[in-house]
Amino acid sequence: MPILQVESLTRAYGATVAVRDVSFSVEEGEIVGFLGPNGAGKTSTMRVIAGSLGATQGRVIVGGFDVATQPAAVKRIVGYMPETPPLYVDMTVRSFLRFCARIKAVSDPAGAAERAMRRVGLSEVAHRVIDHLSKGYRQRVGLAAALVHDPRLLILDEPASGLDPKQRVEIRSLVQELAGGHVTVVLSTHVLPEVEQLCTRVIIVNRGRIVAQDRMEALSEPGRVVTVEVRRDAERLAAAIGALDGVTEVEALRPGALRVVGARDLREDVADLAAPFGILELTGRRGLEEAFLRLTRED
Amino acid sequence: MSVFHIAWRELASILNTAVGWLVLAGFLVIAGFFWSSMVSFYVTQSTDLLTNPYAGAQMNLSDHLLAPYFGNVAVVLLMICPAISMRLFSEEVRQRTMELLLTAPVSTASIVAGKLLGALGFVALMLASTLHLPLTLMVWGSPDVGVLIGGYASLMLVSATILAMGMMFSAMTANQVVAVVLTFGSALVLWVLGWAGSGDGATAEVLTGLGLLDHVQGFLTGAVKLSDLVYFAAMIGFFSLATHQRVEGYRWR
Repeated sequence: MPILQVESLTRAYGATVAVRDVSFSVEEGEIVGFLGPNGAGKTSTMRVIAGSLGATQGRVIVGGFDVATQPAAVKRIVGYMPETPPLYVDMTVRSFLRFCARIKAVSDPAGAAERAMRRVGLSEVAHRVIDHLSKGYRQRVGLAAALVHDPRLLILDEPASGLDPKQRVEIRSLVQELAGGHVTVVLSTHVLPEVEQLCTRVIIVNRGRIVAQDRMEALSEPGRVVTVEVRRDAERLAAAIGALDGVTEVEALRPGALRVVGARDLREDVADLAAPFGILELTGRRGLEEAFLRLTRED
Repeated sequence: MSVFHIAWRELASILNTAVGWLVLAGFLVIAGFFWSSMVSFYVTQSTDLLTNPYAGAQMNLSDHLLAPYFGNVAVVLLMICPAISMRLFSEEVRQRTMELLLTAPVSTASIVAGKLLGALGFVALMLASTLHLPLTLMVWGSPDVGVLIGGYASLMLVSATILAMGMMFSAMTANQVVAVVLTFGSALVLWVLGWAGSGDGATAEVLTGLGLLDHVQGFLTGAVKLSDLVYFAAMIGFFSLATHQRVEGYRWR
């Protein structure tokens, strides 16, 4: 049985419908990336799963419990970290995490708080007041709070937002580590490399609807979009590439540079054809970015 | 259990701020001032009355010292309680921390009860810090213990009523200034409603019955009526229920 089942979920704010008839399920142990432009309904969907938002229509089942009818049972196995982690900034890290463990009905709150701090690397700031911590540490406190009751399903809304590149890498490896320890993770982001490195499956949403969901490999097949810049005769090269099998689109980006879109990996063929023209640069853009842009285009 | 964890955190968050301690200190100063001036007034009055054998018998500690003292302290609490209750929910909404409570396996009723108890805990702390004042009477006089207990009980009940009302306003707006103004205004109305009793007729009776003052009297004279207890239970219950509905509504905004 999947750990998370979302069945025709709809959530409206007055006349605005943020989530429209969304259905998907997540198996135990998966890391699912929830991808979409701002305002696509990612946060609303996650909040419904976490129980802080009611569903206008549809059902959400977590670990066999219905969020609407058995919220407490669901909340005991779900850990949720919103984009801005909810922190009582006047408390110290340790006392805050103990409080979180207590209201989440953990049997040994003090021990659970220490474990959570060790897991996310907070032990050295345990005694500090949260208000005095850097953004990176605060994000970790939020993660520790979501983890303190050993949830089976972890929901992370933009876990690395507002962090510097070094901190992003740290958070990313933390999530990877957690997933290795049999926690199912659903994370939303609009940073594509993050999804590519972390996730086993991707769900792309746009304007409240799921526009694609597939395994990572299927969506991010490399080489489907190739850009090439040559020294001379770009027009002649464009014609040659256009004649290739499986090419759907050839476009001049600027003098000498072409963008090629195809239904298969085109890197080798394009390189072969372009060699006599003097290749200055050739990149096989990851297909995920292309898929994302195509699927979420505003039209 | 989670009720007490939430209450404890609420109390701790008040005591974590300088304002919390300033309010506590300010309250002690005001209560102490009332106490000392009223005791010295009582002393001069009773010395004067020594020469008047008829009036002397009518003066006693309960009616002429304790009741007015508790009445004055109640008015001070009327002003302090809205300031305590204003942040209960609006601060959570403003700091976006409500999400933590809403996604924890805690019922809305526990959240509301915990918040109210935490705020009430601070009032209890304030009142406990003034206990030594009336207790000095035990050494130099023989006050009616029932009136002492009744006085403190009535102060707690009045505070709980205003805190519950303030909690409701706090859940209704993220703006703490709006919350404090609405609470203080409403508390004042509840207090002065008691003065309507000077009129007569059914309207005056209903208005007096709705006011706080009338129901405090019983506690200060040592004659608590069941209706007084029901009044406070109903007021606190109503405002808590309204808060509960409002907090439930957070999930549907």
